[in-house]
Parts: sequence; C-alpha cells; structure tokens
Amino acid sequence: MTWITKSTAAPDSTTILRGLVSKKRVPLGSDIYNRLLGTLFDEAAALDERRIDDWIAMLAQDIIYQAPIRLTRTGPNRDRDVMRTMFHFDENYDSLVMRSGRLQKSAWAEDPPSRCRRFVTNVRVGERDTPGEYEVVSYLFLERSRGDSPENENTTAERRDVWREVDGEYRLARREIIVDQSVLGMSNFAVFL
Amino acid sequence: MLQKSKLVLRDGTSLDDLIIRESNEVSLRVMTDEELYKLEMEKIFAKTWLLLGHESEIPEVGDFIVRDMAEDNVIVARGQDGDVHVSLNVCPHRGMRVCLGEAGNKRVHQCIYHGWAFRPNGDFIGAPVEREKMHGNDVDKKTLGLKKARVHLYGGLIFATWNVDGPSFDEYLGDIKYYMDQLFCRTNRGLELLGPPQRFTLPCNWKVPGEQSGSDGFHTLTLHRSLMEGGVMGGTAESIYDQAPGMYGVDVSCEQGHSLRCLEAEKTFKMFADVPFEGKSTRERLELLAPPGITKEMIPELFENLTEDQVAQLATIPPQVGGMFPNILIAFIFAPRTDGGSSGALSLHAYVPKGPDKVEFVNYLFAEKDAPEQMKRDMLQNSIWNTGTSGVIEQDDADVWPVIMKNARGAVSKDMTLKYQALHGHERPEGWVGEGLLYPGFTKDDTQWNWWLAYYDLMDAV
Repeated sequence: MTWITKSTAAPDSTTILRGLVSKKRVPLGSDIYNRLLGTLFDEAAALDERRIDDWIAMLAQDIIYQAPIRLTRTGPNRDRDVMRTMFHFDENYDSLVMRSGRLQKSAWAEDPPSRCRRFVTNVRVGERDTPGEYEVVSYLFLERSRGDSPENENTTAERRDVWREVDGEYRLARREIIVDQSVLGMSNFAVFL
Repeated sequence: MLQKSKLVLRDGTSLDDLIIRESNEVSLRVMTDEELYKLEMEKIFAKTWLLLGHESEIPEVGDFIVRDMAEDNVIVARGQDGDVHVSLNVCPHRGMRVCLGEAGNKRVHQCIYHGWAFRPNGDFIGAPVEREKMHGNDVDKKTLGLKKARVHLYGGLIFATWNVDGPSFDEYLGDIKYYMDQLFCRTNRGLELLGPPQRFTLPCNWKVPGEQSGSDGFHTLTLHRSLMEGGVMGGTAESIYDQAPGMYGVDVSCEQGHSLRCLEAEKTFKMFADVPFEGKSTRERLELLAPPGITKEMIPELFENLTEDQVAQLATIPPQVGGMFPNILIAFIFAPRTDGGSSGALSLHAYVPKGPDKVEFVNYLFAEKDAPEQMKRDMLQNSIWNTGTSGVIEQDDADVWPVIMKNARGAVSKDMTLKYQALHGHERPEGWVGEGLLYPGFTKDDTQWNWWLAYYDLMDAV
C-alpha cells in the first residue's frame, strides 16, 4: 500500500483502486481475523454512539487518514478512477484531534448531531511485512439521519486500513476511504468514515 | 422613484415584489419558485461568465475535463491549436452526451450512440459510413459541430459564456478587477490547481450560498464561532462579540455584483498579532507577513506583475474573501496549521444550480505554481481542513443552507424576507487607491445588497 501525493490536477495523475494488496491472507474465522473484526465493530459503535474520545484512543499517533476523490473515466483509463491528489479528508493525528475537539464545542454541523449507523461488511485481512501490522479492507455503508428529515443521507465506501497491534489492542495507523460517488450526495463530511 | 420591473410571473408577482428595493429586502420565495428558476437559467446562467476550472487541469493537447454551466454539461478541452475550447456536451445528431468521462485525453470525441465524431475544439469530423452521408444529404459539415461557448482565461482560470456578443470578461469584472488581480495575476507563473475539484450536492437553491458569497462577513462571528474557540482568529470564545475579530476592514464591490473583503491581517489572526507594521515599507511588511500562498522568494514577482499601489494593499490589507457574481466564492485566507505553521489556503467554489432545490458545490483548491512541494502539500491540507466537503468552516455553512431552503416553502414563511438593512453606504477611505464601491469599517450588508441588485438587473433585462 502506498500513499503518494502528487500535486497536480492533470488527468494522468489518476490511479486504480487496488483493494487488498497483501498476499498473506489472514483466514476468515481465525483468532486474529475475529479480533480485528471485533475492533472494526467497536470502532463503528464508538463513532455511532458519538464517543469521540474513545475513537481517538483507537488511533495511532502516526495515522494517515485520507479520502481521495473519485472520477468517472472511460476507455483504456476506465479503471484509473481514484484521484490521490485531491481528497475529501486529508488528515493526520493532530488534525483528527482538532476536529474531535471542535465537535465538543460549537460545531453546528453536528449540533444537533446526526444519528448515524455504520454498517461494516466484506472484511478481508492480510498480514503486512511489519510484524503485528495488518491490512484490513472493509466495505462501509453509512446511514445518517439529520434533524427532522425523514430521508437519510447515506454513502458507501471501501476502507483500506492498516491496524497495528499495540499492548494487546489494535490501533488504526492508515485509512484510505474510497468513496463510490464522484459527486457526493451527502451535504458534508462532518462525521468520520 | 424606482422604475418598475417588466418581469411579472404567471401569478402576477412582479420582480419588485421579490426584490424589494425600497426597503432592501428579498422575499424567501425567490429560493423555491420554479418559474423564477427557469428564468434565471436563461437570463443569468446562459448570459454571464461562468467558472469551469483551471488550465493546469488540461496541460496537453487533447486533455479534457467535463463540467457544468448550470444544467448545461460542457466539454472543456485543449485543442490542436493549444487553446482552451468549451463545447456543449450534447450530440447535435440525437442529443446524447458525446463525452461520458469526467477527465482524460482524446483527439476525437465519438458519440457512443450513432458514432458522430468531434474534435477537442468541437468541430464535426463526420458520421460513420462516410459514403452514405449519415450526417445529412445536403448539410454542410461545418454547421454540425458541438455548440461552442465563448472562452476567456483569467489568471489561468477558465471562464465561458453563451453570450457570444455580450460584455467582455473585463467588462463583466468591472472595478473589482483591480483587487482580483492581486489574487489571481500576481506571480510570473500563476496558480496551479492541486487536483480535480471536490464535488458534493446540497438540497438548497443556488442563491442560498450565492447571496452569502456576496461577502457576508457578519455570519462568521456566530456560525463560525469554532474558529474563535480554536484560537484561529483573534479574540477568545468569551469575547467574540466584544472584539469582533475579522469584522473590520474595507469591503469593496461593484455594480456587477462582485465583492471582496479586505482585512488587515495583523488584526485578523491571533498568531500575527505581534507582527509590528508601524513605519514599515511595503517590502518590509511583505517580508514580515506575505499574503496567503506567497513565499519570500515570490515577493519580487509581485512588483513585476502588479502596480506599486496593488502590492502596497497586498502588504497591509489584502483581499481575502469574497465572490464573483453569480455563483463563485473566493477564500484566499491565512490558515494556521495544527503544527504551528501557516502557508494559507486558496480556494474557489462554484455553486452550480441543479434544479430549484439542489446545488452542486464544486470546490477548487490552489497553490502558486512555483510554491515548494511541501508548501503545496500543506496548503492542500489547510484548504481541506477548512473548506469544502469536510472543512471545519464550511461544514457549518452546509448545515444552515438546506434549513433556510426548508423554511422557504411554507405558505407563510415563503413571504418572509431576507433583510439587508444594515448599510454603511459608499465611502472612500483616506488614501485608498482602487476604484469601486467602498465600505470601510465593520462589515455590513452593502456588498450583499449589491449582489441582489446585480441579480435584479439581469432578471429585469429583456
């Protein structure tokens, strides 16, 4: 997994999605797989229940958290549809802490807060070369209810994570969120994915 | 006595009932009315210059991007001649979109329906099975190109209009050009777009964000309170309304509806509060605090590209936020980082109408082309943290606008009005050099009201 950022808007900077890269798969139902799956569920619960400090505690200090934009492409370039030069999120640990701090003060976008359900499925796990680090790819379906609107906003994405074992727990060290929409139907990303 | 508008909607409502010039009010009904929306598409979006991107997106011959001029989808491409061309993405044969991708490189755009083919400049090449003349028996091929828009590049920004014989781009900008040049035409190699724009949709009329882009400074104190709480702007959370950070400066605008808020940087941002400007020359001030996006190395270029007076303004009271009528927001702001640094954030938004109750927010993020790579990287992050999809400033705007839209629908609430009655009136500050309508002091409603007057003028035009 690489996170190369090129500063250019030219179309030849697009890249493919890729998904799970590791060749050393961690089998479904194995102890490590189950513990990582449990971690993803715990993470979704922390975010859905707006226990933002609990979520921050799950992050590694060197985290890179990005959501590149998606383009519609055709012809020979039809699969090069992830633009890793521009992002909806482009975060590090400090900026995520800044965002979480804001949420606890006057962040009108989430006050009143949206009611979210994060459905995490299609989890695939692979070992990384660094011992104790795992590549975890999952699908995310986010339903978000806001105010008195009976129509939820929602979005779907693939998340390409690296989770690192620290003191018997897993910390999120990388997350690349591959959204499926080239034009987001959600009016903001004031919630984490 | 103001002359009555000739524009009357089917139910007898006059433009004067909606844009109430006697009392500086606008009826909320303007946000939902479908008839008005259709007229806006004809009278505004098919007439004015519209922002479509930046030439750094299409550096090579054949490079193209697909964008929207309101609900008209267009191909923006670099032709064989090296120029940027904008053509309607509608096949003149049977109405299919000719180009289905969002970006790429093609020397020939062939419609997937029946195969009519076009060059990047929109010229018709031919239809398949040439001998059968499927483009028509007696039709001249020259008449079958894609419909072409008039194009103008300004500081590398791509603007286009369907109004082929209308005002030039400079006439459209008017007196605000003097100030815009300080943002877009100040360095030798100009701006670079850092990637294709963020795009997302909001359930509101384009004028809800549109009127805010007419330099609504006042909302910052309350809606963007978190900027003060986070220590980004001067003052503390407890003293926001006493100190009113970022509210004092000179708002400039013009009858075309554009505006910019010029703010004294040293008074706006806490982190710059100790920078002493007294008795310093323009160059010394620039060395102490360069405008957002500018490095020390670029300072001599400012003098090459701008007049001495323009550079002097950049050094003391630079334009930072504002808009171009009808649907562009400009934010060229100082943006302190969580790691203590600051290299600014340069952002333009286009609020593209997608029906009376839907708008697409297109967020373009820039850096100077000659900025060091690390600075570009920092500025990209600054812009993403503050503006657009997840920006901590604009998340809150995106929360307000759809709610205003909901309020515009009620039988009673549709007749409520937006009020622009806190007016300063044009006043030229002592020693001020640029032209335009000038509003020194606390930011008031003047520039936004000018935005509505520009709207009125276009809607009223026959």
